[in-house]
Amino acid sequence: MTSKSTGLSVTDPLRARLFMLLALWVVAIIVMALLSPYFWRASTIPYLLQYVPILGLLGLGQTLVILAGGPGIDLSVGSILSLVGVAVGALFSIGVDIWIASAIGIVLGAALGCLNGFLVNVLRIPSLMATLATMFAFGGFALAVTAGRPIGGFPASFSWLGQGHTFGLPNAFVFVLLPVALILHVMLTRTTVGRHIVACGNDDRAAHLSGLNVIRLRIGLYTLSGVLAALGSIISMSWFLAARPDAGRGMELLAVTIAVLGGTHIFGGTGGVPGTIVAILIVTTLQIGLQLANISAAWQLGLIGMLLIVSVSRLSTLRFGQGAKS
Amino acid sequence: MASVGDTRPALRFVSPTASRELALMAAIIVVSIIFASVSPYFLTVNNLVQTMRAGLELAIVSAGMTLVIIMGGIDVSVGGIVAVSAIVIGKAYQAGLPAYLVTPIGLLVGTALGSFNGLVTAKLKVPPIIATLGSMYIFSAIMFLVIGGAWISGLPGTLSPLVNGWLGFIPASALVIAAVYLLAWLLLRKLPFGNHIYAIGCDEQSARLVGINVDRTKVMNYALLGFLAGLAALLYVARLRNVEINIGTTIALEAIAATILGGTNIRGGVGSLLGTLLGVTFIRIMQNGLVLTGVSSLWETVIIGSLLIIVLTADALRNRNNPRAT
Repeated sequence: MTSKSTGLSVTDPLRARLFMLLALWVVAIIVMALLSPYFWRASTIPYLLQYVPILGLLGLGQTLVILAGGPGIDLSVGSILSLVGVAVGALFSIGVDIWIASAIGIVLGAALGCLNGFLVNVLRIPSLMATLATMFAFGGFALAVTAGRPIGGFPASFSWLGQGHTFGLPNAFVFVLLPVALILHVMLTRTTVGRHIVACGNDDRAAHLSGLNVIRLRIGLYTLSGVLAALGSIISMSWFLAARPDAGRGMELLAVTIAVLGGTHIFGGTGGVPGTIVAILIVTTLQIGLQLANISAAWQLGLIGMLLIVSVSRLSTLRFGQGAKS
Repeated sequence: MASVGDTRPALRFVSPTASRELALMAAIIVVSIIFASVSPYFLTVNNLVQTMRAGLELAIVSAGMTLVIIMGGIDVSVGGIVAVSAIVIGKAYQAGLPAYLVTPIGLLVGTALGSFNGLVTAKLKVPPIIATLGSMYIFSAIMFLVIGGAWISGLPGTLSPLVNGWLGFIPASALVIAAVYLLAWLLLRKLPFGNHIYAIGCDEQSARLVGINVDRTKVMNYALLGFLAGLAALLYVARLRNVEINIGTTIALEAIAATILGGTNIRGGVGSLLGTLLGVTFIRIMQNGLVLTGVSSLWETVIIGSLLIIVLTADALRNRNNPRAT
């Protein structure tokens, strides 16, 4: 991001951002390797990738919601993750097959996301408030109906997704996150829908005037965010073989952090999947590395906070026009 | 008494928040009647005073939050400020410092952390939600590093009379709340500072153009919230005589919820301190009543969340034709 000429080489701020993030990731890996002798082991990679999918799905959903502008944000993803988990657990405990229950869970995630989209786009409640309220409502509901107790007893076959490995890589990574990220990336960069999303984020008035159904598009993205959170919930259940009613606590803020760190502008219009993926890798590397080096997780929190502030402040100095609002 | 310099005659005569205040008052009365009929203990002086003492910190922080939200800002890191201030206060007490030194230290820490938020938002042009999200991580990192996972307990209760004392038949905590809200009301309604806050919340660009020092007002406003958070931390320590590891985890979201319930517009420009105080009262009475009537306290977040959704939806429907609301 520290390019010396302001006019020429910053023609694609997203690419510059991506290179900066990759450099940051390399730095993080080197520092972690210096901190802990265990970090340079082959087993670290699957271990690291084990943590990536859940947060990755939430971060990708968040990226799209923020990208479409508005300004959009979805603070309820963590709560959707918890609530879907509890619903699937409840269905399983009354005898529904676990995979069918998971499918119903995904539908529930879509419905909850759609509710967010309705509140934000049709009723025009600011996204921050609407999803804060649904975060309270969904997360509280998940906790209240279970009285805070996890629902366990899932069959061992269900752990294929969360605990199994293919070619040495976690199944959740190979069969869920990778395809989802690829599809979303292709959708964003190669299809009209993707261009419409970016157009909405850049100027929703112009997008509306040129015939885009901005409201429908944004509701669709909130729904997608809900679906991705539900997928994350299924991975989480399959990993722990239990549905924890507080499984998604704190994840919403981490998801926003990842999306913004990955170069998605908080008011929409700029951003993409690759940046988000690298941001997840950075955050997870910090997490795992500090864990292996036996350093307090507090450092990780502080680092993420500083990264977040620094990354956004750099970006908004580059984009004077957008930063003025709010 | 509309003087020449008065910039908000419309606000003076037709308060946009009056209907919300009346509705909240009605809601508080209805809810109180229901709880009183179920639990004979609810309407006792002892219970009400206890509820007020437990809600002291939330009431104080919410006053500052109202001013920040009227300015079009938001601060999700305020729980972190309370936590860090409380820990510094605890450590200072443990180091043997007397209360007349610890009190200014605690207030100073809160103010400094608040100013940090203000500087990041105003000078680095980071949107307040992202800036305070980042500083929330940083503050919790500081907290974990200082406290190291253990409680600080056995602190002296030198300031306890401020919370638990009585002045004649008036509980001291009521006086503290009254003093804080009076101060905030004076700042907001009687001093230029308050006019600037409203102006920035209505239209930041215009406020800048008419010569208001927007950056300074922002920093001062966030610093004020930090100061109040420091005060809340002092009273927290005085009330409980220890510092728990989970201090301040919910206070930011609760304060935002109370402010929005009280009729302050999340987009800024409109707001009411009386509404916020009623919002805090409502939230605390709900929590207390649910406990007394034997409903699991886990339902309380569901109720706050659903209430927020209802209130925001009602607002949205009422303001359908109001261009400022979109």
